[in-house]
Amino acid sequence: MAEDLVLDTAIRDWVLIPLSVVMVLIGILRYFVSKLMRSTSQVPDLKIVKEGQVIIRARNLRSAANFIPPKSFRARRVYFSNEENGLLHVPKGQAPNPQAQMFSDPNMAMDMMKKNLSMIIPQTLTFAWVNFFFSGFVAAKIPFPLTQRFRSMLQNGIDLSTVDVSYVSSRSWYFLNLFGLRGLFSLILGEENATDDTQRMMQMSGFGFDPTKNLGAEKDSLDIIQHDWALPKFEQRAEKVLRNLIR
Amino acid sequence: MVTKTEDTQLNRLENQVDNGGGGAWEYLCLIKKLKVRRPEKVLKYGLSILNDSKKRSSLGSEEWTLYEQVSIAAMDCQCLNVAKDCIKVLQKKFPESKRVARLEAILLEAKGSWTEAEKAYTSLLEDNPIDQLIHKRRIAIAKAQGDISGAIELLNKYLEIFMADHDAWRELADIYVSLQMYKQAVFCYEEVILAQPTVPLYHLAYADVLYTLGGLENLQTAKKYYASTIDLTGGKNTRALFGICLCTSAIAQLSKGRNKDEKESSELHSLAVTALEKDYKNTAPGKLPLLTAALKSLKIS
Repeated sequence: MAEDLVLDTAIRDWVLIPLSVVMVLIGILRYFVSKLMRSTSQVPDLKIVKEGQVIIRARNLRSAANFIPPKSFRARRVYFSNEENGLLHVPKGQAPNPQAQMFSDPNMAMDMMKKNLSMIIPQTLTFAWVNFFFSGFVAAKIPFPLTQRFRSMLQNGIDLSTVDVSYVSSRSWYFLNLFGLRGLFSLILGEENATDDTQRMMQMSGFGFDPTKNLGAEKDSLDIIQHDWALPKFEQRAEKVLRNLIR
Repeated sequence: MVTKTEDTQLNRLENQVDNGGGGAWEYLCLIKKLKVRRPEKVLKYGLSILNDSKKRSSLGSEEWTLYEQVSIAAMDCQCLNVAKDCIKVLQKKFPESKRVARLEAILLEAKGSWTEAEKAYTSLLEDNPIDQLIHKRRIAIAKAQGDISGAIELLNKYLEIFMADHDAWRELADIYVSLQMYKQAVFCYEEVILAQPTVPLYHLAYADVLYTLGGLENLQTAKKYYASTIDLTGGKNTRALFGICLCTSAIAQLSKGRNKDEKESSELHSLAVTALEKDYKNTAPGKLPLLTAALKSLKIS
């Protein structure tokens, strides 16, 4: 386009700045609401704690196996991974289904719903608000040129291929704020308190993880480990050390 | 574990605070972070902050953790009145808190009213059955009362759940050694070594127990662990050097008829003897004759 579009200063005063301010305020509000709704008493389950400890101990055994005598190592390996009542052995069919576990524990489902609600409701509301009042016009201009690829990112809601890409539509400005304000939130609310949407998504996808799978994996790697006692080598090393000391 | 840089930092801060250079709050924070035990210092400097209302209010919400830290330090120093006052303040601020209830139970324990403390701990455990600290306190009560078998039972129950806690394994090993149950102690020390395979002190303790158990195989293993202690400490550990000498002579005595001597082991033995002699010559020349006499008697037997 040869001539530039001239943007009204009223757009800046009534769209650009209010939109950003509202986004920040909503972010802060959401943080406090989610803090209020978070269930306070989170006592971890005894069985889960125990499984975690078993895994740590088995891992220790695997990594430091060469430091104990062969007999002790074999005894421990049997203790961990025998087929009858080994600590790492999970009987077939008894492995709890995480889905079923989730439904059996109403608290867990409730927690997840709360988290979801505090995230989704404000987002849909603000999106509807932006869509209703500020849809379909250009709100800002970036001071440098960009390639066509950025059109879908910066000009959401404007279906004109002739407008220069450096113009930003109001709906796109909303999206930019939504994803770009994380740094600001971590400044305002403190490092770990940032309402980090992507992190929450990650947590949710990792939610259905199965501790029994971990036990099985640990058992397999314990089964294949070769025990090579390191201590006989230490005698020679000790001799060397002493020889140096005496000299 | 406290690393070396953290240790030097701690010592530097301690020096600075002791000489009135300020930085008491940072020092207390570091103590809490590293979990080192300096009750007198915590009590002294913590109280000086808490008694100064201006300094105290500048801490913000950290004020309450400082109260907790000081109260525990006060109980450690047997200043029970100070601890009581601190806990009272906390109780006023957080009337429902389990953490404060725990402190009160610890105060009961410090006073020596075992049954009441035990009752308090039991009721706290009902609310939260996996509170490690309370489990440990109960074990400590049993031990303080002289109920060693009870302590062993509780400790075993604790380790059934928290089996990756190597400090608890070490405590159990200590108790077993004190009761001369060496086979059980050997198992516990193996567990400790597995958790931290490069700490020479554990190798040394393990070797000691194996040597005490006796028997050719155990003695040979003990000797290997004394050797690893020497390697890990750079030959600075006198006990390990003596251990080598004792093991060698005991092994020689046991395998006298079998004629299965290893040449290398005798070399390690002679090296250990020379190292010991050199060490004594440098640090305690007056005791050298004693040492040579002792070593000679070992060789003859």
